[in-house]
Amino acid sequence: MIGVLKAEIYKILRQSKTLYALAAIFIIEGFVLLSAYYQGTEIIDLLLANLKDSFEFKGNLLNGNLIIYMILNSLWFHIPLILMIVVSGFLTSEYKDRTVEAVLLQPVNKITFIGSKYIVSIIFTVLVVILLAITTFLISYMIFGKGDLVVYLDGLNFYPSNEAFWRLCCAFMVGTVSMLFFSVVSLTFAVFFKDATKTWIVSAIFLVCTNLLLKIDFNNSFWNSFFYSKLIDSWQYYFYYEIPYQTIYLNIAVLIFYCLIISGIGVIVFKRRDL
Amino acid sequence: MIFRATNISKSYGSLKALSEVNLECKKGEICGLIGANGAGKSTLFKIILGLIKQDSGTIEIDSFGLKPIGGIIEKPALYEYLTAYGNLKVFSQVQGLNISTTLYKEIMVQVGLHPERKDIVKNYSLGMKQRLGLAIALLNKPDCLVLDEPFSGLDPMGIHGFHKLIKKLSSENKITILISSHIVGELAELCDTLYVLNKGRMIRSGQADELYNTSVSSFKILGRGFQKLDFFNALNPVEIQGGYLVTTNRTKISSIIKEMAIHGAEITACIPQTDLKVLFDDECL
Repeated sequence: MIGVLKAEIYKILRQSKTLYALAAIFIIEGFVLLSAYYQGTEIIDLLLANLKDSFEFKGNLLNGNLIIYMILNSLWFHIPLILMIVVSGFLTSEYKDRTVEAVLLQPVNKITFIGSKYIVSIIFTVLVVILLAITTFLISYMIFGKGDLVVYLDGLNFYPSNEAFWRLCCAFMVGTVSMLFFSVVSLTFAVFFKDATKTWIVSAIFLVCTNLLLKIDFNNSFWNSFFYSKLIDSWQYYFYYEIPYQTIYLNIAVLIFYCLIISGIGVIVFKRRDL
Repeated sequence: MIFRATNISKSYGSLKALSEVNLECKKGEICGLIGANGAGKSTLFKIILGLIKQDSGTIEIDSFGLKPIGGIIEKPALYEYLTAYGNLKVFSQVQGLNISTTLYKEIMVQVGLHPERKDIVKNYSLGMKQRLGLAIALLNKPDCLVLDEPFSGLDPMGIHGFHKLIKKLSSENKITILISSHIVGELAELCDTLYVLNKGRMIRSGQADELYNTSVSSFKILGRGFQKLDFFNALNPVEIQGGYLVTTNRTKISSIIKEMAIHGAEITACIPQTDLKVLFDDECL
């Protein structure tokens, strides 16, 4: 298993598409920073127009913490989309080049091969989110400095700078589990569809549907609590005044359970199918 | 017997790809599998290599090494964004083999590739990719090699070079080689035994030269001064570029050539022509 994992990591590091994926994430980050730099003040003014009539605001609300929160919101769509494309490519490119056959002509167990793909996808996803978080914090604080965080979530919520920092850190950590879910799903799609284009289309549709389903009320407390789409936004709970820790921990546990089930299905299908 | 496939059957839906196929190879032997496109060669090889599962039948390999059998299915599948070293490294790692620089050089030289080449495999010719594919198949020293259509897409020089390499591997390393092609001549001169697969059924097997000879039903005779020979014209030769095509069997051709030489004809070549219909058609049995 260790040898197969090493080989997988070596391949990922040597593939140009890994660099393209990282570049795409930094481009998104750059766009958010640029738009905040040029238009941020106007947006803040618009958001707080009514409140400014009644309250006096001290300090700069367009600060690093707000920018980090804006970049954090790319966890809704942009980052999972990029992750799904790249992670599914770990397998679809092997089907396309028939290297999956070549590897399995060696004394390698099918479960070991696909299992290592899932493990490497998880490692890759975690590293991408960590890299995104580190660069976001560094660049945002360097350019915009620190300050209180204002978030619009069922109304305007204000957090002091230090509190905002750990809330943002926790949100990134919990968001990582959501990203893992999308990565695992896309790799399982790759097992089923084999073809890159089909997998990308299905992954994109899945992502869009997930975001739509998140907003739908199922009129059933079980489905509203445990359906997968209701669990992927747990990182947002860190921006309520009262953080519902129980709900967050339960959501993370259920989402990890979903990840295990989905990857288990992928492993079984890959093992049973002829190449 | 190092390798034996017994009563192998495989269907894809309603299509019967293989029907009770039997095949066996002795240690150090080169076995050829001939069949037209779609005969079931790749399916049989994929089953032998464990890539797909047979519906029924058994595969026995008398080898206890870590990797009893190595192979290439159709064109070699390589990581084109990696160098030759990168490819050998990846394929070594997955099977728990640590590839040292010495081993890398040794394998590259063995398959006739330059170990100093540092560019990515994408730049390699098909012949070089085949050789690298063979190098990968040889990792961990398998006792048996399965090569599916290894000459496909190679130029005549490439085919000649690959022939020599396979012969060398068989004679020097005592590796049993099972090789397929749809071109009879290629396998006839390379193999010890031949199997003929048609529409999923093994219709013939035997010594390569004997099987090849039974399928030869005409000869291309090149040279000059044939037209004036009455006995030659009585054979109803068909004129082709630079000579004639004569329909006869192996036992008669030597006396015909002898007679032609006595009567002053200048013969520059006599090339046996295989009749694929005889070889592939089981109704001719």
